[in-house]
Amino acid sequence: MLTDRTKRNLKRELRHSLMAKVALVTAVLIFLVALFAPFIAPYDPTTQELAGSNLPPLGVSTTTETTAMVDGEMTRVEEEVAGTTAHPMGTDALGRDMLSRVIYGARTSLLVGIIGTALAAVSGVSVGMVAGYYGGKVDDGLMRFADIMLAFPALVLAIALIAMFGSGRLLVPDPWVELGLVADRPERFVFPGTVTLVVALVNWVWFARIARGEALSVRGEEYVKAARSIGASDSYIIRKHVLPNSVTPILVLATIQVAAIILLESSLSFLGFSGTTLSWGFDIAQGRDRLATSWWIASMPGLAIVVSVVSINLLGDWLRDALDPGLEGAGGGGGA
Amino acid sequence: MSLVRFVLRRVLQGLFVIWGVITVVFLLRFVTPGSPVDAVAPLDASPELRARIAQELGLDQPIYVQYFDYLFGLLQGDMGYSYISGTPAAVRVFARLPATIELAVAATLVALVFSIPLGVISATRRHKPADYAATSFSLVGISTPNFWLGIMLILIVSVNLGLLPTSRRPIGLLPALELLVFQLEVSGVRTWLAHMILPALTLGTYFTALIVRLTRSGMLDELGKSYVRATRAKGLPETLVRYKHVLRNTLIPIVTILGLQLGTLIGGAVITEFVFSWPGLGTLVINAITSRDWTIIQGSLIVIGAGFVIVNTAVDVLYATINPQVIYD
Amino acid sequence: MAPERRGRAVGRRTYLRFAGAATASAMLAGCLEGEDPDDPEDPDDDADADDVETDDVDEADDDVETDDDDTSVTITQGQFASTLDPQDHRETPTDNVILQAYEGLLDREPDGTIREGLATDWEYIDEEEGEVRFEFRDGVTFHNGDELTMEDVAYSILRVVDEDVGIVSPQADQLAGVVDAEPDGDDALVVTSDGVNPMVFNNFASYCQVMQESWTEEMGDEVGQDINGTGPYQLDEFTEDEFARFVVYDDYWGDEVEVEEVVYDSASESSTRVNSLLAGESDVVESVPPQDAPRVEDEDGTTIEAVPSTRVLFMPMRNNVEPFDSVEFRQAMNYAIDLETIIDEILAGFGDATGQPTLEGYTGYNEEIEPYPYDPEMAEELVDESGYSGAEIELHAPAGRYLGDIEIAQAVSGYIDDLPNVSCDLEQREFSSLADEILDGDLDTSPEFFMIGWGNTTFDASQTIIPWFGEGTATQAFVDEEVYGLIEEAQNEPDEETREGTLQETNEYLNEQAPWIFLNRQYSVYGISDRLDWEARQDEHILAREMGLQ
Repeated sequence: MLTDRTKRNLKRELRHSLMAKVALVTAVLIFLVALFAPFIAPYDPTTQELAGSNLPPLGVSTTTETTAMVDGEMTRVEEEVAGTTAHPMGTDALGRDMLSRVIYGARTSLLVGIIGTALAAVSGVSVGMVAGYYGGKVDDGLMRFADIMLAFPALVLAIALIAMFGSGRLLVPDPWVELGLVADRPERFVFPGTVTLVVALVNWVWFARIARGEALSVRGEEYVKAARSIGASDSYIIRKHVLPNSVTPILVLATIQVAAIILLESSLSFLGFSGTTLSWGFDIAQGRDRLATSWWIASMPGLAIVVSVVSINLLGDWLRDALDPGLEGAGGGGGA
Repeated sequence: MSLVRFVLRRVLQGLFVIWGVITVVFLLRFVTPGSPVDAVAPLDASPELRARIAQELGLDQPIYVQYFDYLFGLLQGDMGYSYISGTPAAVRVFARLPATIELAVAATLVALVFSIPLGVISATRRHKPADYAATSFSLVGISTPNFWLGIMLILIVSVNLGLLPTSRRPIGLLPALELLVFQLEVSGVRTWLAHMILPALTLGTYFTALIVRLTRSGMLDELGKSYVRATRAKGLPETLVRYKHVLRNTLIPIVTILGLQLGTLIGGAVITEFVFSWPGLGTLVINAITSRDWTIIQGSLIVIGAGFVIVNTAVDVLYATINPQVIYD
Repeated sequence: MAPERRGRAVGRRTYLRFAGAATASAMLAGCLEGEDPDDPEDPDDDADADDVETDDVDEADDDVETDDDDTSVTITQGQFASTLDPQDHRETPTDNVILQAYEGLLDREPDGTIREGLATDWEYIDEEEGEVRFEFRDGVTFHNGDELTMEDVAYSILRVVDEDVGIVSPQADQLAGVVDAEPDGDDALVVTSDGVNPMVFNNFASYCQVMQESWTEEMGDEVGQDINGTGPYQLDEFTEDEFARFVVYDDYWGDEVEVEEVVYDSASESSTRVNSLLAGESDVVESVPPQDAPRVEDEDGTTIEAVPSTRVLFMPMRNNVEPFDSVEFRQAMNYAIDLETIIDEILAGFGDATGQPTLEGYTGYNEEIEPYPYDPEMAEELVDESGYSGAEIELHAPAGRYLGDIEIAQAVSGYIDDLPNVSCDLEQREFSSLADEILDGDLDTSPEFFMIGWGNTTFDASQTIIPWFGEGTATQAFVDEEVYGLIEEAQNEPDEETREGTLQETNEYLNEQAPWIFLNRQYSVYGISDRLDWEARQDEHILAREMGLQ
């Protein structure tokens, strides 16, 4: 779908920009980590070990002070604990390995991010193309509807829809465990179905707008008129002529949307609405009550979010700079 | 098209979208699994109460009658009665509104105060350390989930340094100001401010980052345009060129984009309120959702949607007044 | 804020008129102004709609909630009151708010012994028939100024026990056995039961607040929005889900109180509660987690107070659904969890392991019974025996209601999930919606497997066993004919010792049947400001009238 020229642009921009290189490598790494989570994670992320709870990360040592009830008397218990290589990111309140949880959390985020964006792109682009290509009443109707959708903040609409339809958890068997390649890891993971549908539903409008604009501008071109005059069907024209011309801006938008949806998913998980307990947002919520004593529980998954979203946004910047020569330098609109 | 006609058209469009919002929210009632009564009645409702609710919702009537009843009620400020909390939805929604408005306005102020200077510095000192610092900040800023930022601010500023309170809103702005004016008592305003700083920073960071990015790229665009080069050639001092022409032309499109980002601001406010136990619409919606109180959810959605449209329309009208050429676009 | 004040609750019929003024009132949202407590009452809310509006605009003066006002106390719970109707709930956080203003016939000392309440004298007329007589004190008035009548007391009792009077109260079994109440002259009341009722005084000391008949009937649906009690404090301001403020009721019949203003609010995050105590915004906060306790102790001006409470935590498994209909499966769940480690690691010892529904020290407690030991192999075997190998179960648990609740639930579901032949998921629930499902009196709308805590302040086994195992109670979660029989036997046994024996037998039977995963006795761990002089009660009630100021 990409022309040779854009491929050249992409390569040139990549050569020139250190940030683009770093972002590409990081994003690919995160993707691989999510894909091969069972091989990389040192432990089963759901296995608890109460006796080894609240261990700090490697290189950190803390004195935990607890007021305990010992034989009916309140007693101050002090304990010196240091992080070990066994749990490089420490453990949470139930003694689960934070590193393994962060690794598995990448799965939820990327799954929702990529599938949600794909759904939003497919539906948004179809609607936008149709609206832009036919114009007139169809266009008016669809775009007014888009305006109405835009009037609801994505997060608010998402939680309202989840409240109505439940979290729609789908249990997906882990392919690696299924194939017997790795043992002692969760056999299934939760794919938050409603959340994925909902993030697509609240984000399709952006795709529709861009696709419509592109379709509008292509509609009047000579080659489209020519195609029509030789009797090509509308759907053929849209697929063969209108769509390919819109690929570039849609690709840029899709990249930024993956980042935006990861943020949205983590917010929903943080609020406990996503139905999965293996997600960065959920772990941050878990760590909230232990901020004063075990700060790493909320910090580690948060860092994971920031690193992945930064790298995906940088990818978006790279794509934009390379594909849209009209814009100079890093900049332009942010997440939606 | 005259300004008056433009304003009129824009307002009508706004009203249309608000009507659409209401219609969508009304229709959602029928999309929920189960009967609409289930969404409104408490779980332990007696059959009598359920029958009464069905009657009040007009479920025995055709849908269009229910719809007009609902619209008519809204016009009178009736958002329905929340049987789960035992209060009219409108009372609860409007009681929470000021807290959310205060937070959103404060966050916007934070964003404007920090972002534009940063964006200008970044664009004019391109590829210098200041530029790198500003672009890195803005990149991280738009990539950080604000609930996590809020938690980290609580951890560092409140828990570790003990500088500011962690949460809640013991007093609203208006009562605080009234104390100040009528009793010359500053404690109210001080309390308000202390509780406002962290939430406003949390919510404002994303927007600061976003506007820095927009300002920087907009300004780079403008600086490259021919009229700037021409003005420079005429020998006007550099700073004057920079601020008077370039900045103005940069800011105009930013205003529109910000209007569209208002939804993100409100969405962000919801979760910021949750993190800071801030008694606004956001915590109301979240609580209503966990207690399955559809009447309140419905009312809040309408107020949030309508608020978004109103501000957006106001921004457009303002924009047209300052810069009449948009009318002819 | 929207004016939800004493006698001013906005009625269903009138709020339309009020809605127009909503904007004006909304401007004052969050405003904490006081109201003249002597403001004459007008129960007719229709007539009030207009002056609500003007009042609010004029009245934004008075004090802010700052610490310069030293007779005011702020109490922060994990959960706010779900209603203000004293007879339409079953939750201690709601009780705590309501009991500032409503009173019962009898009362209890902090250690649990029965003392006078509105009644000064109580005696059996006929023990066999369960007929008792209460004598009432003079000079008791409701906050609207009306005098307390015997009809009001009778009405209040019937509103709880009789489905045809007022509401269908979820508290009916708290007065188990009581069938009727009738005035006996102007200051006495006769209560009749359906036979022997050994628990009658005990129950009246813990339950049944007295409401005014005419007021309650007039309020209709809005009883839960306002308060008209006889207690030392009257409701001054109330916002659903947020806070309730009480001020001293000047015509209170009893001793003067030291604390003149009480504000109740809530924060479900324990860190929020602790932080607001440390910041001086709250004077009493409940459920301080052990890891935060040192911070409270180290801070100048705050301390920790912990007492074993009258509450037991447990996880009912509904035996009318698979796989919980198998006793082997239920026992397996008990063997699967390491209760000792949970108590040591999560609760830092603030909890006592249990193996029966009844707490130590209660009438009917069976000393022979030990908590289930941790034995995962045994658990696995029992699951196999039950025929439900491979079962998938889901635990519904509240967050922020009990000390360490969600972490205990996570640990339990983790232990069960660790069994090779059972998988367990955790569904985190908001307490009030979970409570609604459990309390609606319909067994089939309750989750199949959930976590809950039960406070029983009567120090008698029956008030835990009847609600959870009796036939047709609001909270029944286990259906077993044999338990019905045992309950029946205990309820009709006038002889104390025989009755205690029956209750012990019931506990033994329940231990074997494992209707619950038995967890721990809860400890109330409060963070308290040093400006207060207050001894924590076993029954978890936080009563401002028992507080002194330093």
